[in-house]
Amino acid sequence: MSNVVIAGYARSPFQLAGKGELARVRPDDLAAQVIRGLLAKTEVDPAAIEDIILGCAFPEGEQGLNVARLVGLLADLPLTVGGMTVNRFCGSSMSAIHIAMGQIQIGAGEAFICAGLESMSRIPMGGYNPLPSPELAAKSPGAYMGMGQTAENVAQQYQITRAEQEAFAVKSQRKAAAARAEGRLAEEIVPIRTKKGEVTQDGIIRPETTAEVLAGLKPAFSADGSVTAGTSSPLTDGASAVLVTSEEFATKHGLKVLARIVSVGVAGCAPETMGLGPIGASKKALERAGIAAGDLDVVEINEAFASQAIACIRDMGLKEETINLDGGAIAIGHPLGATGARIVGKAAALLEREGGRYALATQCIGGGQGIATVLERA
Amino acid sequence: MSEAVKKVCVIGAGVMGAGIAAQVANAGVPVLLLDIVPRDATDRDAVAKGAVAKMLKTEPAAFMSAAAARLVETGNIDDHLDRVAECDWIVEAIVERLDIKQALYARLEQLKRPGTAMSSNTSTIPLGHLVEGRSEQFQRDFLITHFFNPPRYMRLVEIVRGEHTDAAVAEKVEAFVDRFMGKRIVRAKDTPGFIANRIGTYWLAVAVNAALDQGLTVEEADRIGGRPMGVPKTGIFGLIDLVGIDLMPLLSKSLSATLPAGDAYFATVRELPLVDRMIAEGYTGRKGKGGFYRLDKRPDGSRAKLAIDLASGEYRAEQKPAALPPAAEKDLAALVAVPGKVGDYAWTILGSVLSYAAMLVGEAADDVVAIDDAMKLGYNWKFGPFELIDRLGPGELAERLRAEGRAVPAILDTAGERPFYRVEDGVRQYLGTDGAYHDVVRGEGVLLLEDVKRRSAPVATSASAALWDVGDGVLCLEFTAKMNALDGEVAALIEQAVALVPGRFKALVIYNEGSNFSAGANLGLALFAVKAGAWGEVEKLVAAGQRAFKALKYAPFPVVSAPSGLALGGGCEVLLHSDAVQAHAESYVGLVECGVGLVPGWGGHGELLDRLAKLPTMPRGPMPAVTRAFELISTAQVSKSAAQAKEMGFLRASDGVTMNRDRLLADAKARALALVDGYRPPEPPVYRLPGESGRVGIAGAVADFHRKGVATDYDVVVAGRLAEVLTGGDADLVDTVTEEQLLTLERAAFLASARDERTHARVESMLMTGKPLRN
Repeated sequence: MSNVVIAGYARSPFQLAGKGELARVRPDDLAAQVIRGLLAKTEVDPAAIEDIILGCAFPEGEQGLNVARLVGLLADLPLTVGGMTVNRFCGSSMSAIHIAMGQIQIGAGEAFICAGLESMSRIPMGGYNPLPSPELAAKSPGAYMGMGQTAENVAQQYQITRAEQEAFAVKSQRKAAAARAEGRLAEEIVPIRTKKGEVTQDGIIRPETTAEVLAGLKPAFSADGSVTAGTSSPLTDGASAVLVTSEEFATKHGLKVLARIVSVGVAGCAPETMGLGPIGASKKALERAGIAAGDLDVVEINEAFASQAIACIRDMGLKEETINLDGGAIAIGHPLGATGARIVGKAAALLEREGGRYALATQCIGGGQGIATVLERA
Repeated sequence: MSEAVKKVCVIGAGVMGAGIAAQVANAGVPVLLLDIVPRDATDRDAVAKGAVAKMLKTEPAAFMSAAAARLVETGNIDDHLDRVAECDWIVEAIVERLDIKQALYARLEQLKRPGTAMSSNTSTIPLGHLVEGRSEQFQRDFLITHFFNPPRYMRLVEIVRGEHTDAAVAEKVEAFVDRFMGKRIVRAKDTPGFIANRIGTYWLAVAVNAALDQGLTVEEADRIGGRPMGVPKTGIFGLIDLVGIDLMPLLSKSLSATLPAGDAYFATVRELPLVDRMIAEGYTGRKGKGGFYRLDKRPDGSRAKLAIDLASGEYRAEQKPAALPPAAEKDLAALVAVPGKVGDYAWTILGSVLSYAAMLVGEAADDVVAIDDAMKLGYNWKFGPFELIDRLGPGELAERLRAEGRAVPAILDTAGERPFYRVEDGVRQYLGTDGAYHDVVRGEGVLLLEDVKRRSAPVATSASAALWDVGDGVLCLEFTAKMNALDGEVAALIEQAVALVPGRFKALVIYNEGSNFSAGANLGLALFAVKAGAWGEVEKLVAAGQRAFKALKYAPFPVVSAPSGLALGGGCEVLLHSDAVQAHAESYVGLVECGVGLVPGWGGHGELLDRLAKLPTMPRGPMPAVTRAFELISTAQVSKSAAQAKEMGFLRASDGVTMNRDRLLADAKARALALVDGYRPPEPPVYRLPGESGRVGIAGAVADFHRKGVATDYDVVVAGRLAEVLTGGDADLVDTVTEEQLLTLERAAFLASARDERTHARVESMLMTGKPLRN
């Protein structure tokens, strides 16, 4: 079977939903600009692309229909490039990468753009028409449970104090602020043209965050809970994209390879504690790669909430110094459908930048599951 | 006519200037707001910008909508003064200093287009001084427009024309201030303080002095000088706390500087050590650390009301004053006749203030109507000074003044025993300085139900409503109960009106002149029936209301509702069932039933759903309109203006807004008549509703709010009933739900709530304390 590689990664700036600078940008436009940016950066021949596989958690309205195809057309890709929209909530664009890997390995193409998008300003979380199954809601209330409540459940199950969550959030903000200040984020960001001018920087990171400030916030989801807005990832607008190719293709086209995909995994878990999803999924992916958690040099674990990230790190025994080196979603933001491609692309880029051999990108998914990708330095 | 005013420039972004600019913007007219460049400024427009930013935060809000706020453009007088050339009216509202105003005018004279109206918002400086040294053209364009604070909410504008003011220019401004800014204009003469502040300042000075001299507590003074005289219940000291104690010496100083020698005001000026000390220590009233009254937070979070002891200057617990004899509550003659300090204090105020006002007829205003209007609209008095004199007896007042050896104003002599107002052939008349009665003339195009009622008999009445012929084939339905509450009597009269209009009338207007259109259903009555276990009665009431409102909706003639003030619950449902609404800009609309544990019962669910679903901005699918309606009703949201009621969906985009309260009935009538030709009643809506699935979605969101502590236990229950109706009960997406089915669901949900003891507790709390109970 062919080796499959990550041969490029780009994303838009991440901005707060509603009041951020991307609130007035259509998500399809946002993704099209990011894909143009990825193509320019990698200099890959667009005509050689088989398909755009695009993740989106709430594919409605401006990110509805088969938005992957529409984004391809918007980005002026050759008409021969296909388009497919994938939904696995927050795991959508990581699934897009997994699908591309499978397609390459069955000989159904050599180069794929795996992207993700979400405008949480323009399409409400939950969609316009949430219509839960009464039967399922009665049988398994967690299936439709608000994410904040699942974060509270995880905090309780793992006895994670509010102070621990806040310390984690402060650290995420510090790392992200340092990365931005030192220009380490600029290389992955595609400036986005808007009606009000170009947006070039992330808008969510708050370097001034301290544990004292966070300690003053009210619980966001439960009157007697421990999870606050400061220890949750914010509603975010953003898009991301990675170029996934066979190793032969990358060599032939002179592409700069960031990492090889070694293994992948998905695993379901209890919906009420969906934040624990990475544990089962990572276990599978690590086993399939034939390595242990201790072998990892770089870990990108999505910080949907500090409580669930801490629980997963603790449960899997991940090394502190490998975690989210440039900060995580609490500081940078979490545009649902776009996060998977970001953290896989980021993990690959970090392996390339920092050295080391193995990386893990993993995230939790609403409804109770996790997804994971193991990478190896090229 | 005012169509000529397409853009306004306001110079001076203080409280008044900024508020005036906001009201221009509320009228939909662009406005340029300029102020000085602050020293060492990085942003040269910072003062004007800061004023707008502050207005966006303060409550009660100066802007009626976000769209209005966007109509204000900010700048500074160093860089942008030449832009007055773009404007059709320039309002100056800068500091009250003659030299500074004159210097600004000298610059403006060079920059403004000749013929562009220019007015000052001065409250004290005579017009003659302001235009000294200006060209003839400038003087032709110049007048005084004196607004009251806050400009959005106070309905009075005093207008002073100068000797040289061009009538056409003044009329243009007056028309704009009247129709667009919604103010009632009182023409004042060019005298210090004009009308309202001159009398108001004198009144407060007299009342404060007398309280000190006669040994009254602040509570007693406010009790006697408040409601019995038709003065807002803040009375004397409460009002001074509200406007700011520090303003008193300033007002006194500026008035003293300009009033003619011998004016009675000078006799009231004296040292007030207590007031000086309070100001020095920061006790400047509600905006400061407290005033004559002070609210202290107790350790347990509750509030203690304190009042100052006028003798010692120390705060002490508020003391409830002794009750007045019942007759004295309403009858001024009885009030001044109460022996002891009550009668003495009342007489000191009334004797002085009413004769002062009477002295000003001819000097500050042409007639008594202008003075009465000024005090009623500028100080929220229920009765003007001459209406008070009529209540006291003009002869009695003159006689007592004479007996005390005090001067009797000429107009009192003219009146003799005759009242200042009378009704002759159904027309209200006032006594002129010539000793003859003249008709009280309303502004052009103004139609008041008050006048209709004076000259005609009702077409029909019930205990809580009446029908009036307002001319041109339009019938007017007036609510008449306390707070214009709605009950079975109103429903019955609606049905009667629906039967009566075809044949005799062309259209129906629903309108009244209460402070509030309707605060909703009569809760007291409903609670009584519920407590008596009269379920049949309750059910009948709900069904009768539903039937009556649908009869309105499907009547073969146009129905236009014209709210002003609160239109809550059932009052809002009246609007929802009308073909069109012509709303006063100050309309506060909402379906607030959930606050007392109920759900709308008179068709509100279906009408709001239908309206929201038809909004062009509403996403498709079965849930968006349901979710929006659920949010609006479950959290009892009330609009803070008619403009906001449109944004929220309670009013249609096509519904009209009238800025001037006095013009509401005329506008509503015109609107109704415009609908007559080719009128066809609406088709009943058909709903596609999500049924149980939608309900499960809503329940999830409600559970989240409950967990957060935002929704109470009973809120969750009421929300469930509300969701049951809004999602269509057993409806399935592929079916349609009829209006009738929705009404049946609504009745069931209403009755379930009405039977619930937790609802009773909420209703009782609302009736007793006016506050919602969070059970």
